[in-house]
Amino acid sequence: MSSRLRLQLASLLVAVALGAAACSEVVPPASSEPPPPSPSSIVAPTADATPAAVTIVDDEGTTVVVPTRPERIVSLTPAATEILFAIGAGDRVVAKVDDITPYPPEADRLPIVATFEGVDVERIVGLEADLVIAGGLDFTPSDVVVQMRGLGIPVVVLYAAGVDDALRGIELIGEAAHEADAGRALAASMRAAIGELAGLVADAPRPRTFYEIDASNAIYTAPADSVYAEMLRLAGADPITTDASYVISLERLVAADPEVILLGDAAYGVTAEAVAARPGWSSMSAVAAGAIFAVDDVVITRPGPRLVDGLRALIAAIHPDVALPPG
Amino acid sequence: MSAASLSHALPGLARRRRPLWIALAGAAALVVVLVLGVAAGSVAVAPADTLGILGSRLLGLDLARTWSAAAETIVIELRLPRVLTAMVVGLGLAVAGATFQGLLRNPLADPYVLGTASGAALGAAIAVVLPVRAVVLEFGLLHGLAFAGALGAVLLVYRLSRVGGLAPLTSLLLTGYAVGSLLAAGLAMAMFVSGAGLRQIFAYLLGGFDAASWLRLATATPLILVASVAILARARALNGLLLGEEAAAHLGVDVRRERAIMLALASLATAAAVAVSGLIGFVGLVVPHVVRLLVGPNARLVLPLSALLGASLMVVADLAARLLGDIPVGVVTAVVGAPFFLAILRRARAGYEL
Repeated sequence: MSSRLRLQLASLLVAVALGAAACSEVVPPASSEPPPPSPSSIVAPTADATPAAVTIVDDEGTTVVVPTRPERIVSLTPAATEILFAIGAGDRVVAKVDDITPYPPEADRLPIVATFEGVDVERIVGLEADLVIAGGLDFTPSDVVVQMRGLGIPVVVLYAAGVDDALRGIELIGEAAHEADAGRALAASMRAAIGELAGLVADAPRPRTFYEIDASNAIYTAPADSVYAEMLRLAGADPITTDASYVISLERLVAADPEVILLGDAAYGVTAEAVAARPGWSSMSAVAAGAIFAVDDVVITRPGPRLVDGLRALIAAIHPDVALPPG
Repeated sequence: MSAASLSHALPGLARRRRPLWIALAGAAALVVVLVLGVAAGSVAVAPADTLGILGSRLLGLDLARTWSAAAETIVIELRLPRVLTAMVVGLGLAVAGATFQGLLRNPLADPYVLGTASGAALGAAIAVVLPVRAVVLEFGLLHGLAFAGALGAVLLVYRLSRVGGLAPLTSLLLTGYAVGSLLAAGLAMAMFVSGAGLRQIFAYLLGGFDAASWLRLATATPLILVASVAILARARALNGLLLGEEAAAHLGVDVRRERAIMLALASLATAAAVAVSGLIGFVGLVVPHVVRLLVGPNARLVLPLSALLGASLMVVADLAARLLGDIPVGVVTAVVGAPFFLAILRRARAGYEL
């Protein structure tokens, strides 16, 4: 019903538009010539695509079929960009999402087809994308996902709520990109590395740790069930957490008395000195002991190949006396 | 038109023909902006290819394919529904605006005056906050709740306004304001708890045609067109109401019935428009005024010309928004419309009335 309706509607309106355009000089002269016979353009490419089709279930529960080995992949999350390059599919990525801390450097050459403001579906179609990796929870607007799927582009939506999800996401991207072995190998090596690192601090005393996401206005820290809290626990900390609003009051923070303060907002110019000078913060054990450290928020929270680096950085800050294996 | 009235009108013939010229110019402008809207975008498709794609796909012409499949998808599946959605939404909002201004006899009235905007926004925000993700035929919960919210808000305002002793128009406007404020509080609360969904709510509040598709267009278009045509058919009653309730009653207009019907129709057009495009301001407020300044207050002229101008303005605004790097279309409608409106206001003769 819809296609007939839309065709009738469209032909009606465009007939009007073209009728007027024909009177102007917009019409190309070539269209008045009879079309030359071009048998080569009519012949369809040989249809041998079926054996390579891959079917996966993404993090939203959608079954996605990738009919052929994708040669023109669009990455709409920074993590997916990192993963695609890490599993050896980087040379088949044709466009990416904007990333304030771009990684890896080889991805710098890629055109940006999505920003915080929106996704340029027209350019993605223009690049003839045959696989799109998108972010869940409306990181990629759900309207855009629906639209691209409606145009026949396979879209895999990934959302990592924790470390296990992130590793599963790496395997899923591997399957979708027809690099399943590389994806599984990367996930397995990361799982082993994370297990080894966590084992080093499993029996160490757990300092009460406050992870500052932002404090320029209200104070933002990790909700109890977030990837932040999970990484902090793996790193041998007792994280001071809050609810899903991410906001914690200064009163609660003072009462919780952190022994270690980690500055996830160090990239925005926050320093240990500035924290120690904040009114009301001087009573905290971490401030008195000088246990305030800058950390790289991106490697700690981005559900990609560098999670291991993030965990190593956390342990180095929280347990400076623990000897870490070389990364 | 009888011969007597025609000869009577002869001295003023040029002026009487003015609406016709404006209508023709408006139609020509609409066609031009539709073609431009389909031809322009972030991917360069040659004008010849654009016309070829349109000709072969929509008119069934047998043309040599000089374009890629991607270009065809871009023109047919992305740009065409987008441009037509902008056209239909602009048409609907302008007609609804003209209707609300006439019914409420208030120059500041717009399609959103009786709570449709707050209702739709709250519905959309609730859809974002609810942990449910369901898509039925390209329509998510957001579109459904925005549509229901817009209609529900107007219904509530209408019901509440009929309680109490105030004059009907004053009561409608004040009730609309009160209900709108309450819904806006709900919206603020939903935004506060929305977390990562805030961006999506914000995008809805700004409005736009990014997500236009044939199916969405085919769903919204009948609602908007039927409501607009039905309003146009009641232009005589609207003219009567412009004179005041008593005068309208003397002219044989069933005031309460006609007002209720036209409020319902204008709200339906508005709700369908905001469900597919989000909240795009200014078109519904300014376009009817511009038309009135050009041709006078006769609703028989104001309604169809508003439809034409609203459609053109929205297509232009969307085109400009796309070319300027996908900025919100509501910003463009205001930036394009406000100076134009001011210029026309300055030239307006004294005694401009609705």
